[in-house]
Amino acid sequence: MAVVAAEEDAGAAVAVEDRVGIGWRGMLAASVFANLDRIDLIEIIADDHFDASSKTLRALRTLSDQIPITLHGVTMGLASMFPVDIRRAENMARLVNTLEPESWSEHLAFVRAGGAEIGHLAAPPRTRQSMDATVANIEQVSKIVGTVPQIENIATLIYPPASMLDEATWVSGIVDGSGCRLLLDLHNLHANALNFGDAPEDLLLRFPLHKVSMIHISGGQWAAEPGGDRPPRMRLVDDHLHDPPPIVYSLLTMVAAHATQPLSVILERDGDYPHFGALLNQLDTARLALQQGRDIAAQTSEAA
Amino acid sequence: MSSRALECFLAKLYTDPIALERFFADMDGEARRAGLSEEEIAAVGHIDRAGLRMASASFARKRERYAPSRLHLGELLMRRWFK
Repeated sequence: MAVVAAEEDAGAAVAVEDRVGIGWRGMLAASVFANLDRIDLIEIIADDHFDASSKTLRALRTLSDQIPITLHGVTMGLASMFPVDIRRAENMARLVNTLEPESWSEHLAFVRAGGAEIGHLAAPPRTRQSMDATVANIEQVSKIVGTVPQIENIATLIYPPASMLDEATWVSGIVDGSGCRLLLDLHNLHANALNFGDAPEDLLLRFPLHKVSMIHISGGQWAAEPGGDRPPRMRLVDDHLHDPPPIVYSLLTMVAAHATQPLSVILERDGDYPHFGALLNQLDTARLALQQGRDIAAQTSEAA
Repeated sequence: MSSRALECFLAKLYTDPIALERFFADMDGEARRAGLSEEEIAAVGHIDRAGLRMASASFARKRERYAPSRLHLGELLMRRWFK
């Protein structure tokens, strides 16, 4: 756990405890247990456990007794013009009551409409109306679960049709309206910036960095656009199957340099697993990136 | 310019390859038949076409990857009945 000094508003130096952890996946379970001394927290996909047996829940409870856990939802569909299905919020509430995580999170996405299950996270039109509907959904599920979620920016391969607001304005509006903290996915931000003509660093600085509490890091790969252009135009696909690229660590340093609050970083990996030692090295690289950001902040503060 | 009709329309395009091809063949007509407003019809007329194809293909792969197999579905049902 990296402990660094940051400046409080009043000017007094205080300790900021940043943490680095990994997403819980069945394939990684044994290695995670064997390396708990190098992992500060674990993120568990909530939807995988809504129907879990009491035995599985006991095992997760044992895990949560040993290390802080956070729950991550993927199918609620908060960013929708339709109200969230109450049963999904109740499932989350039950799991939160059972496992007592330190926090839970969901995506700013819609995942179904008109009877069609999209099967993944889709970006809604970024408008005032979708912003208001999302805030209303967050308020509704927060009442059911008992705590507000952290909300995550998503990657999108299509520029959201009929959008009237840019991504940073839309996300900031929802963060302000809901009072939620932001789970900032740096590879999602990076991919959206590159795919839609923005500089990742510029886009990052337009996000409400003072509201970030958790950060996701992951990787992806380039894919050719259909259409047969020569050379083909490429888009970056966020797939969680590749190592985080160097730019993701640079963005992490930027966040740590601009934010004064503690940050918890989660490495997301969904397949094509390297040796676990390589994943531990990625956690160490994230710690170093955080530390570099805190150092920059401290130097800037001293110079001022 | 966000409506439930627009969200349903997009979900259909993301999940139904036939609807997607119908849309590319007659964007204005399909949007109108889906009950979109004039403003929304104009907006989807400028849709990111390459992105739409890539997103639809990506969602299809995700659905395939995470769809329970028949055996798996059977196991799930057994678990529900006997737990």
